Amino acid sequence: MIKIIFNERAKENELVRASVDQFLTLVPTLESLHQLPIFIFQDGASGAYYIKCSLLAQNTADLCDLDAKLDLENPETYRANRELLLTNRTYLKMVSDAINGREFNDIIVEHNTDYNPIKPLKVWGGQHRVNAIGQSITKGKNNRYHGFRIYFNLTKSQRTEVALISNTNISVSNDTFDRMIEETKFGNKLLKWCQLVGFLNGNEDFPDVGSRSEKISVKRARSFVVNYYLGKQKGEQLSPDELDKNIYEPYLVQTGTAGGISVDPTYEKIMSENDILNDSALILAGERFRALHNAQVRAITEPSSGVKNTKAFRNKAFVESVLCGWSYVAGLLQNHPERLENHYRIPKTTKAVPDPLNAEEMSKYKHDSDDPTYRGLGTRSALKDRQRIAQLFLAKSLEKSVVIDKRLMDRAVSTVVGLISLSKGYV
Amino acid sequence: MLTYRDYLTLAEKYLLLAEEKSKTQEETNWLLIPATILAWSAIESFINNMLDDFGFLPESMFQLHERAFLLETRIRFVDRGNELGCFTLDGAEYRRLEDKIAFLIAKFGHARLRVRKGDTLWQDFEDFKETRNRLVHPRREKEVTLDIMKARKYIDTSKNTIQFVSQHVWKKKIEF
Repeated sequence: MIKIIFNERAKENELVRASVDQFLTLVPTLESLHQLPIFIFQDGASGAYYIKCSLLAQNTADLCDLDAKLDLENPETYRANRELLLTNRTYLKMVSDAINGREFNDIIVEHNTDYNPIKPLKVWGGQHRVNAIGQSITKGKNNRYHGFRIYFNLTKSQRTEVALISNTNISVSNDTFDRMIEETKFGNKLLKWCQLVGFLNGNEDFPDVGSRSEKISVKRARSFVVNYYLGKQKGEQLSPDELDKNIYEPYLVQTGTAGGISVDPTYEKIMSENDILNDSALILAGERFRALHNAQVRAITEPSSGVKNTKAFRNKAFVESVLCGWSYVAGLLQNHPERLENHYRIPKTTKAVPDPLNAEEMSKYKHDSDDPTYRGLGTRSALKDRQRIAQLFLAKSLEKSVVIDKRLMDRAVSTVVGLISLSKGYV
Repeated sequence: MLTYRDYLTLAEKYLLLAEEKSKTQEETNWLLIPATILAWSAIESFINNMLDDFGFLPESMFQLHERAFLLETRIRFVDRGNELGCFTLDGAEYRRLEDKIAFLIAKFGHARLRVRKGDTLWQDFEDFKETRNRLVHPRREKEVTLDIMKARKYIDTSKNTIQFVSQHVWKKKIEF
């Protein structure tokens, strides 16, 4: 019988003791082999319980589950871990080291038999090391001991935190963080909404790294939703003749760990006040925006367009300033149906302007007030760009059939610059 | 479309070339004249575009005479038709550059600033204007003499004028 001891900082908990006991009965460890006592620790910040022990490589390969879930109750849960980078040089070095007998430590897992019980050790930190250990076993002997931190009886929020802190020592993108926190806080609502409006296919998940992907990221989807509602709120206060006399400030949702491991408060508030899956006007806005994005992609990938087929031009609609500005105006015009319908129309294309968003011209655009290093309209996420893009779409909504040409860009940007100058004291 | 920065860059290039030529005692007027005119065009471009920024704003944000000034149009009294008895904007009416600057500062400048004609910058501007007018509207009795120092000063005056207006209207220091 192995002695299980709660460390002096860990509060006694019989459920946890029973779980640890069950684990030690079922899984052979170096400590149990030598009848060494096992200490239960409790994390002071989250209250999560864990033990430290060593497992053989073969047991690691057999018992570890790389497809760990944050939400056990939802069958359509988000993918919590990032994609394995099997061709990454660091990973290949890990495999080579494992084959040469490298012993890894501080692999972070959760003992959980509620799903896929054949592999009860759900990996939260060290998925590449675990995979490398598995590779080393299949290629030779190397049945060495590796160090583990094993968590027990985690709550959903503790699980998320374990996942986050376990991943801070490797290069995990903000988008992966966002995806984890999104699920913990709001379940799969945003994912479902993106699938509903067509940003993602039925079985698709948000990308690990938005900048490398051509799919919508959690941050962008959140920004779309937030700006729609912020715009709507503002639009309700304005009469038609006031619409074009304001500077609008589309909002960029904070991402990742900016301001701590938490959700952007504006997004959190909006999600708590609105049912995005049942708001038909928001869903329509999403669908129209997706149509714009698709039209832009089609136009750029069309060889006869004459525009360089670059990711930046193809995905112009997904540039944060463009996406935020467009959705803000969609919300703003909810009470102004004629202009809303104009806004929803895909901009006209011509021989000179072959893509609806005129990405190339936008990227060249510069106002006199811009610094020489300014990279063009709708290329960045800065507030200035979001303001200008909102004004561009607002100006476009004045007429039915509009080409986004230099004239319209001039008009929109000049309006923003003029309004800012006019509202003395505006910063 | 050239921007004020482009005009200034071109002016600087002409001046640089003039400096090179002057080392070997070569004639430089053919370089100093365009340098001076381009430096003036830089101010014109900057100020006109700034007026356009305000001209794009909704009509109701300005008085009719202000819009007429911004758009460089004439105000006409309508004596027939549906708008009988009203004022309307009709036809071009060009304004002097110094008036445009004065208007921009008075209307949009912060802290109720006004252009003071005794200031060094304004004196330099007037001097620059005089030379530019003599170059663009030549007359036998109004001869122009240019040299490297003067052309350099005009380019600096152009930059200083642009900077002055930018800082007062946009509250922003321009990078040239």
